[in-house]
Amino acid sequence: MDTTGAGALIKALEDVGCEVIFGMPGGAILPAYDPLYESKIRHVLVRHEQGAGHAAQGYAQATGRVGVCMATSGPGATNLVTPLADAYMDSVPIVAITGQVSRSVIGTDAFQEADIRSITLPITKHSFQVHDPADIPRVIAEAFTLALTGRPGPVLVDLPKDVLATATTYTPPKPAAQSRPVLSPVQIRNAAQLIGSSRKPVFYVGGGVIRSGAAAELRKLAEKTRIPVVTTLMARGAFPDSHELHLGMPGMHGTVPAVAALQKADLLIALGTRFDDRVTGLLPHFAPHAAVVHADIDPAEISKNRKADVGIVGDCRDVLAALTAVVTRAPDLTGWWEYLDGLRTTYPLGYDWPADGMLAPQYVIERLSTLVGPEAIYTAGVGQHQMWAAQYVKYERPGSFINSGGAGTMGFAVPAAMGAQAGAPDRTVWAIDGDGCFQMTNQELATCAAEGIPIKVAIINNGNLGMVRQWQTLFYDGRYSNTRLGTHDRHPDFVRLAEALGCVGLRCETKSEVDGAVLEAMAVRDRPVVIDFVVGQDAQVWPMVAAGTGNDEVMAARGIRPLFDEEE
Amino acid sequence: MTRHSLSLLLRNEPGALARIVVLFSSRGVDVESLSLGPAERGDLSRLDVVVDLQPGRTPAQLIKQLGRIVDVKSVVDRTHDEAIELGA
Repeated sequence: MDTTGAGALIKALEDVGCEVIFGMPGGAILPAYDPLYESKIRHVLVRHEQGAGHAAQGYAQATGRVGVCMATSGPGATNLVTPLADAYMDSVPIVAITGQVSRSVIGTDAFQEADIRSITLPITKHSFQVHDPADIPRVIAEAFTLALTGRPGPVLVDLPKDVLATATTYTPPKPAAQSRPVLSPVQIRNAAQLIGSSRKPVFYVGGGVIRSGAAAELRKLAEKTRIPVVTTLMARGAFPDSHELHLGMPGMHGTVPAVAALQKADLLIALGTRFDDRVTGLLPHFAPHAAVVHADIDPAEISKNRKADVGIVGDCRDVLAALTAVVTRAPDLTGWWEYLDGLRTTYPLGYDWPADGMLAPQYVIERLSTLVGPEAIYTAGVGQHQMWAAQYVKYERPGSFINSGGAGTMGFAVPAAMGAQAGAPDRTVWAIDGDGCFQMTNQELATCAAEGIPIKVAIINNGNLGMVRQWQTLFYDGRYSNTRLGTHDRHPDFVRLAEALGCVGLRCETKSEVDGAVLEAMAVRDRPVVIDFVVGQDAQVWPMVAAGTGNDEVMAARGIRPLFDEEE
Repeated sequence: MTRHSLSLLLRNEPGALARIVVLFSSRGVDVESLSLGPAERGDLSRLDVVVDLQPGRTPAQLIKQLGRIVDVKSVVDRTHDEAIELGA
């Protein structure tokens, strides 16, 4: 088929199954937009390239497919840097396609030139710059395969303008060979042996279980062995919150039973997780009595932060299936469950209503979860609202919570919700956002309104950069330096802002209005809805392991250290 | 700091060397010496590098991190070989 580099690009994207591109045109990428005009691929015209990148991430996590974003050279490409870094940290499969200045002027500081390949070297799994248009179909197929296989991640394809404009012949790429690591039967046996002889084991489940689609296999093994399960921030939904074996989220803002399960365990069965500092606290104090079985598809993660006694390189689905087949002897966990159930009863998640009589943010999220249910997709930005969204929404299925875990990117929620909704049009998508985060990326609501992407946004508006304020309260003597945003005084007025952007805007300030506001938002189907939940500024996220301390010092509330005190 | 001598085979692709060097700098690896030359196969290059690792970081970890770079075909730890050559 005779075409141009640009034609080959769009045809190649169609052939690898791309159904939507989030992007914005500009000079260098312009040739690609011409064949896109008549392509069956949907293009969502964003208002800022960062929104395109996060939308691609939201799409990828809602569908399990590769998300695609596109931008022009120079500033268009550099605006994708944050989403690429985010996708790299959270292992999200996205492909970023960027225009580049023509080959003859690369390296001359040409207009809108940026060396985006070099800029993104540490935050991409791989990148290509194509110099021969005949290579484009092969490169696109490789980029998709690389993004999705092994440990997923972002791949960049940089396309000089003249390469896009040059005539070429389209040759369909050969399907790329996809291999999964072969499990070591010895390590599986060793792991099974440790499981069989343990007295206090725990499944420490990370995002890899969701990426590999291993939730069903996890449930099977957990139910067979009755071993307790904790799910990290990236793994919320990998195991049902309603399940009796589930102790909740571990880590800095984890539940007391989940933190205790890791601390007191004699065996951690770590699955698709990387012993991140937000989970481990001070590493030398983390799970001091536990042997470690660590399964991950990325060999570089095993023994990176915590030495594994048994390391298994493999896809979590394969690992769990293999373990289920060989684990015959379920350990006797009576004493272990007595201890953990005691903590569950004594230290359930809970919150106080603010002393100033304002709305409790946790209550808003709890009601949202109850009214909207587990079939919806929830996204979050970063900060207090994110932790409450992780704690108080009840997740029952993988892919139902999409947030920025490793990078901690404020402003993630709205564009990620847009991408998730585009990929899963039949699901309700709620962005749970903070007033700080919302002001970083709310321009994409104009995109949602124009494109008919009816996301719903719950702004947990506490008038402050809440998590930073919480740290100032706890660690800086309440000196609130530059955390007050003034959004309680309607600067800006989020209801009017939402309406100006083409959405329905609602406001809710009292407990009695919460259900009504959520139900009203749920009834709107033809455009996005924003609810401004005006909540108290002094609510804090608890439990908490203060940064730089060990997990034994987890505080159920300020000054209450259940694990520390019991040892004294 | 511990010193290690690594030998890599990498594909002759633009950016391959840059990706390796960036890995060293972003993971806090000190490069003592580095030499790149053609390998026997024309489409591959050989990179010999001597690195210093911070306390707590292992060469095995670095080798795995290098190994996940798409253009790196193989990584071998030659620390021990060199000791033999020097008669140590």
